[in-house]
Amino acid sequence: MKEIGRFRFGPVTLRSSPARDACFRVVLRDAEMHEYESTDERARRELVHRHMSNEITSLDIAAQCLADYPDAPWELRLELARQCWDESRHVAALARRLREMGGAKGEFPISTFEWNVTCAVDDLPGRLATQNRTFEAGAMDVVGGLVPALRQAQDPETADVIEAILADEIQHVRFANRWIRRFVEEDRRVLLKIVAAVRFLAEANAALQSEEGEANAVGRVAADPSLRVPAVNIADRRLAEFTDDEIQEILRQAGFRSLVSEPTAP
Amino acid sequence: MSLTVGERAHRIATFRFVEVRLMEIVAAWIPTTPEMEVKVMLGRHVWDFAQHADALGKRTFELRERLHHSRPPSDAYLRFLEDVRALEATTERLSALYEVVLPGLAGRYAAYLKEADPILDAPSIVIVERILADTPRQRAEAEAVRRELALAAALPGDLARREGSLELLAALEARA
Repeated sequence: MKEIGRFRFGPVTLRSSPARDACFRVVLRDAEMHEYESTDERARRELVHRHMSNEITSLDIAAQCLADYPDAPWELRLELARQCWDESRHVAALARRLREMGGAKGEFPISTFEWNVTCAVDDLPGRLATQNRTFEAGAMDVVGGLVPALRQAQDPETADVIEAILADEIQHVRFANRWIRRFVEEDRRVLLKIVAAVRFLAEANAALQSEEGEANAVGRVAADPSLRVPAVNIADRRLAEFTDDEIQEILRQAGFRSLVSEPTAP
Repeated sequence: MSLTVGERAHRIATFRFVEVRLMEIVAAWIPTTPEMEVKVMLGRHVWDFAQHADALGKRTFELRERLHHSRPPSDAYLRFLEDVRALEATTERLSALYEVVLPGLAGRYAAYLKEADPILDAPSIVIVERILADTPRQRAEAEAVRRELALAAALPGDLARREGSLELLAALEARA
């Protein structure tokens, strides 16, 4: 079986994209996506399509970790296998919702950024730190704000799907937090791998994200990157076993905005 | 005559090895399979195989082996699984796994049930029966996704003939 290769983008070497249906157009940069400013039907279809695509990518990543690390502890492999099922259910639920909204797969461009970065990391603790502890935890912040926003936009059906997905994601972040701590307790050098993975993610993000004032493919203008950090979903981060110190640091990065009072626009 | 504790442990550990390998094969296929609907189905089946392996691994501990003890099958069966893993086309992957590997494995589990003592080895029987209950569902899901995507059956090479002629447990007896 052919291995998925790597490619160079600016200063970083990323993993080439996983296989996708021919109907999908895979893009690399935020600016090529069709994320809309408004909350109309097309914008909400794009949101569901984007989340569906991200869930496919999460499935690909969890599966690749299972395939790449046969010597990982069995209990961790079991968590990754369960994550595969969870992510596949998320894809199915979002695909069903997309069809209900009159949409179809391939309707909008997609990105596999999380795979391109995570699967370029060569060690399992680094991948868990990148995908589960950073991307999925970040998605908990974004999605936590989306649920009330979608209800406000009179779309309770999509809100229900997103809310159910969020509950599953907490466990994916929690098991990564637990295993990263265990790996570090067993071998302090693992910390260096995690630092390297997080630094690599920051470099990739810097290379690929839209610059302030840059318009995407449908004219949405990007804000200052520091202002794009979503409000922190403190309650779910606690459930996912982030420590108080870690939550405080994440809050600081988010300008001390938490989800208690401000739903984000869908 | 019923199987000894050691013979049961060896068989269960071999089945565990195969279930772990199936989990790994399907996991490796997911990122390299383009069709979203197929990925979704394989994602569920990864979890099925993992649960099978987990239950079998707990049983090995009850049979005087290590927790989650695995024992490789015969070299020929291992090569057969490697050839399945190497398949590239979705149609071939689906045909090989759901039309050849799983029915063949179900036959091997059924043979174990015939050998097993219904009282002394009842815990193994319960696990194997639960695994066997998953197989028709998995195959039906594969058939449904194949119909939905209009994917033709495409059995590669001589996999079916090879599966039928392979001994999973004979090598086990030789090593026991």
